[in-house]
Amino acid sequence: MLATKLSLWRNNCNLSVTSLEDMVKKAQGVLGRNEVSQAENSEGFVRHLTENQTRLYGYVFSLLGDHARAADVVQETNLVLWRKIDEFQPEKPFLPWAYAIARFQVLAHLRDKSRDRLLLDEELAEVMSSAAERKADEFESLRFALRPCLELLTDTNRRLIQLRYLRELPIAEVAAQVGRSVGAIKIALLRVRRQLAECAQKRLAGVQR
Amino acid sequence: MSEHLEELETLLFDWEAGELDDLGVARVRELLRGSAAARQHYLRHQSISAALKLDSESGLGGLAETIQLAASVPETAVPTANGNPHPPSRWKSSHILAAAAVLLICVMAGRILQLEASGRQTGKNSAESPGAARNQAQEPTADGIALLTRLVDVDWAENQIALEEGDALSPGKLAIESGFAQIEFFCGATVIVEGPAELELRSPLLARVLSGRMRAQVPPAASGFSLEVDDLKVVDLGTEFGLSVSDAGADIQVFDGEVELQQASESRLLEAGKALRRSQDGAYNEAEVTPDLFLDIAALESRKADQKNQRYELWKSWSERLRGDRRLVTYYAFEAGDWHRRLRSSLHPENRELDGAIVGARPVSGRWPEKQALEFRRPGDRVRVDVPGEFGSLSFSCWVKIDSLDRWYNSLFLTDQYNQGEPHWQILDTGQLFFSVRHKADELSGKAVKKKAHQPILSPPFWEPSLSGRWLHIATTYDAGSGKVVHYLNGAVLHEEVIPDKLRVDRTRIGAASIGNWSRPTRTEAKFAIRNLNGSIDEFAIFSAVLSTEEIQEIYNNGKP
Repeated sequence: MLATKLSLWRNNCNLSVTSLEDMVKKAQGVLGRNEVSQAENSEGFVRHLTENQTRLYGYVFSLLGDHARAADVVQETNLVLWRKIDEFQPEKPFLPWAYAIARFQVLAHLRDKSRDRLLLDEELAEVMSSAAERKADEFESLRFALRPCLELLTDTNRRLIQLRYLRELPIAEVAAQVGRSVGAIKIALLRVRRQLAECAQKRLAGVQR
Repeated sequence: MSEHLEELETLLFDWEAGELDDLGVARVRELLRGSAAARQHYLRHQSISAALKLDSESGLGGLAETIQLAASVPETAVPTANGNPHPPSRWKSSHILAAAAVLLICVMAGRILQLEASGRQTGKNSAESPGAARNQAQEPTADGIALLTRLVDVDWAENQIALEEGDALSPGKLAIESGFAQIEFFCGATVIVEGPAELELRSPLLARVLSGRMRAQVPPAASGFSLEVDDLKVVDLGTEFGLSVSDAGADIQVFDGEVELQQASESRLLEAGKALRRSQDGAYNEAEVTPDLFLDIAALESRKADQKNQRYELWKSWSERLRGDRRLVTYYAFEAGDWHRRLRSSLHPENRELDGAIVGARPVSGRWPEKQALEFRRPGDRVRVDVPGEFGSLSFSCWVKIDSLDRWYNSLFLTDQYNQGEPHWQILDTGQLFFSVRHKADELSGKAVKKKAHQPILSPPFWEPSLSGRWLHIATTYDAGSGKVVHYLNGAVLHEEVIPDKLRVDRTRIGAASIGNWSRPTRTEAKFAIRNLNGSIDEFAIFSAVLSTEEIQEIYNNGKP
């Protein structure tokens, strides 16, 4: 199971995953029962952490509103979680623990005065953190719900979303590409975003009904 | 949407574009402090931004291209038989996640080395390996308090949506003009309703009867099931009884066990072999028991069997006629008999070359007991066929019973190679019907390699778990002249779309292909992408022409179980 997931990353990093698998096996072979259970524990931890990366990202991004920073903070959160692996208890839910640590990292980030201004302040982030957790819980469902919603857009609108959000072009660039004014593109994008939000909302409601 | 939410949306949009000034940021904060609705709206907006971001990070640029990429290089994009398939969204590697993964792997390696070197135990976290992943997306749910399990000659009343066998019934009215309907309440009670009748389903334990004749069979486990008539409540104490309600009044007859009649604060027991008639004015009179007037489950079963048999006969004679259709490229009727692991082609005149080879798939009962189907369950299950020739337009039709859609791609019919002109017909895990014909030439070099391979045509999602285990008719037509593709479900158009001229394919081919799975059996590797259907197929046809909507409807009407 873990090996499969690791192998999925193989394309993205130059580390030899095979040697890691070997290490896991070796560790399990050499060590006694307790150490084996600890290796299993580590494996469980890594699995939870990797499976919840997107949720953590959704959570952190919601509070920071900035992709580059959110990526940084998720990284920091991973590291802190890793350092605290001894507190990891396989029989307890992983996410609440991870959110708590992520929240701490977000607040620390917002507190750091040397950084540029962000959208929320510490106080607001604190107020919204539990609602953000609930939102992040359903983040995978949302991503799943969005896929067909993107498909349902008209070609023109889908292109706008693609240019702006998937290719991340500035609005002026999008406007230039489709030959419309910046104002018109803004209005159109706002409308499409709203449409996507409504569609995703409906689909999510449909799942939960 | 309120003015404030609209304002917030605009501000967030400007923020994303890097155009929000200090005043704007202050205004966002003010709005968020001011209302919970604004905070909810903010979080929703940000979640979608994050979701779009992660999809962009995957480097695939949107769903359509995702599909295209996955379909053209499946051996890297699809999990293999040695692994565990996951929804594509979760393991699509994004840069962010890849970075996190690299970090994790490094730390993990360090950790294990440390463990190995020191060999010491911290012993803090005791044993048990963690259970199965607990962060599944929401558990799917379905509506309903009862199931409609049998329909015999039912005409639906006006204003009543026509239902089908197997449909779940939610609280609300149910009205039939004539015929018989068998309703199984979730508590375990079975009620056979004879039309004309009108009921209002209230809960798994309760229904209100406005009119009609019905017989309730209530095993002890379902004791307490009640039917209400006006202010009278008939409570079953584990038995079988009949109830007939008309303008003249209500008849209650107990065939077995006893029932309790509750009215206001009074209640009385009625035993087996007794009947009461309550007239319009509320007076009770003893009456005679007439069980024959109330159709029971066994009698309904035999009527149903007659009807099924009629349906089977109807299908059979239609199928006989179809076999001579000159437009048929290949046709498998899945008739009963000794198959010897061959799926016999049903074409007239006979053509044994078109027989399919069954691999793994198991013969099971088909739409009717008189005929068979094939069940595809394990990752290797399939029927291998070889269909020579070159065609233009194509139509696909099949009866399929889907257990679940747990592969990324759930195969209906896929050619082995996916060379130019070859069609692929499958269902995505999202419940969307997928059809494509490869447009790109097979051997290309230089820039041309990067050209789009095809234009896949996806229907909106049609699948929901309540369709599981039901026979569905699925069809798709492809017009090679115009590029128009039409998807059908149960005889009705699900989706239509035109493949643009630059990706339209004039000449189609099939060659070596599989029903219910996909593979490249000529490859020597043992690893293969899992695309098997999790379900059964009973009847499969390909035509070298565009079938009209009427013709697809005819297939459905003559073949529905």
